[in-house]
Amino acid sequence: MSSVEATQQTESQPGDNPVIRVEAVSKLFRTPGEGVIRALQEISLDIRYGEFVTVVGPSGCGKSTLIKLIAGFSAVSAGRIFFEADEVRGLNTRVGYVPQESKLFPWLTVEENVGFGLDSKRFPRAERERQVNYFIKLAGLTGFEKYYPAQLSGGMSKRASIMRALAYEPPVILMDEPFGPLDAQTRMVLQDELLKIWEQKRQTIVFVTHDLVEAVALADRVVVMTHRPGKIKDIIEVPMARPRNIFEIHRQKGFDEAYGRLWNIFRHELNLQTH
Amino acid sequence: MAACGISSATSLIYKLIEREEQPVSKDISQEHAEVSRSPDDTAALKRDAGFNFRGLSITLIRFGIVGGFLLLWQIASGRWIEPFLISSPSRIFASMITGFQSGDLLQHTWVTFSEIAIGFPLGALTGIALGYWFGRSRVLAEIFEPIIIALNGIPRTALAPLFIVWLGIGIWSKVGVVFLLTFFLNFFNTYTGMRQMDQEYVDLARLMRVRGLKLTFRVILPAISPYVFTGLRTSIPFSVIGAIVGEFIAATEGVGFFIRLSAGIFRTADVFVGIIILMCMVIIMDKIAGMVEKRVLRWQTQSEHVGVQG
Repeated sequence: MSSVEATQQTESQPGDNPVIRVEAVSKLFRTPGEGVIRALQEISLDIRYGEFVTVVGPSGCGKSTLIKLIAGFSAVSAGRIFFEADEVRGLNTRVGYVPQESKLFPWLTVEENVGFGLDSKRFPRAERERQVNYFIKLAGLTGFEKYYPAQLSGGMSKRASIMRALAYEPPVILMDEPFGPLDAQTRMVLQDELLKIWEQKRQTIVFVTHDLVEAVALADRVVVMTHRPGKIKDIIEVPMARPRNIFEIHRQKGFDEAYGRLWNIFRHELNLQTH
Repeated sequence: MAACGISSATSLIYKLIEREEQPVSKDISQEHAEVSRSPDDTAALKRDAGFNFRGLSITLIRFGIVGGFLLLWQIASGRWIEPFLISSPSRIFASMITGFQSGDLLQHTWVTFSEIAIGFPLGALTGIALGYWFGRSRVLAEIFEPIIIALNGIPRTALAPLFIVWLGIGIWSKVGVVFLLTFFLNFFNTYTGMRQMDQEYVDLARLMRVRGLKLTFRVILPAISPYVFTGLRTSIPFSVIGAIVGEFIAATEGVGFFIRLSAGIFRTADVFVGIIILMCMVIIMDKIAGMVEKRVLRWQTQSEHVGVQG
């Protein structure tokens, strides 16, 4: 399976080096009341080029914190994070980020939002227009270019939000429970679309979710985190063939086995919480 | 009898207000954004917006109240109350005509208008710029915030006499007072906007390598624009107050001067003429600001006005 992956990677990359290396990272938060919250403890993780990694864990396990640290929104308390050869200090402008809520800029139209990250150097006017149109079409938002985010449904603004991160083609995209608040059908449709896009582009994606089915269905590898303080409990390979059919993912070879393993690990985490 | 009429009018208004509380089909667009609109739907929407009985009755009641008040005023003047105390609508109207015909009134209006036309934009721009700057720089904010709050504690019209001392009795002292009143309101609203703003927008933009002018004009200013407009619109009446207070204290022309002069010689009708001119100024300025706001904030479904006053 890994050989298939290797041939599909289109970007040039230095050997087997990971694109992101998380090294013994801990994160503490100070709270006015309780003192200190240990959000992450000694996390180490390598993410390879072109890989689709999902991160699951019970709520409050620090999975969102982890990708926020990779994006450089806040600083690590201990340990180091590398992007390619460089340590992440301050905002990591080489990743794209899809926040939990869509967070489209409400004062810009769909078109302007999708094209927001396309700077004039890399994307001159004509190129930019082409790029924006391509991604708007990909998201099925054709006809809504001039709409403002407030005029869109939840699913549509989610799509636009993802396209905004994809359009300027960062090598790595971090997604923080992007499909969380959506209804089950919309969610499946979007998962399907995301996989289709990813199969064309093969950017590296780190996708945080609390949904185990989603985690297995999308991923090459699933990172399972424990309840606070967040530690990595296990990493599961998902050797399912691609392209995958999201709508009948249960019938696909390898799903049951991967899901079963994940559930076994996860069950203990749930037990921890139910008292 | 009059009291009875008034109370029934108020109860009618209360009824209308109560109905207002129910959301009036506010987010049609959101629910049906994905459904393309058929001709049938468009017709239905039109029917909805068609004859608006409620809107008409509101307008009628409003005119009734104002008309009734003017009528009562007209009747009371000279019968129950001395005309030199309250004048009367007909006298005021006549004074206004003669005043504008002689050109005097036009000159006074022009002077007051100039004071505001210079002081207001300067004060607003400085306030917005400084509010933005303080919002961007934590150090600056930490140093100056207590000082600004202390300065804000000064009743600002009390400074008007000082401006006369510094800048003379011409228009510049009034421009100064207008500037001062406008500045603080815009500064505080903008600064509040900067602090309330969702930082995630800025982080996202910076993650996309957006910096400098584009960050300011495409992200931060739009994000705080509802606050900026609140500042602008609350400062409009205050800018007029500033000009008038200045003119009350020492001036040789201007609407404030005209009002004080007229009151001094008991030309009550002229006092009201002055007041009406000022009222019109405020209304016109507010209308213009409202139009600009509607255009700039067209991305908002409903303009949610945040109430911050300095």
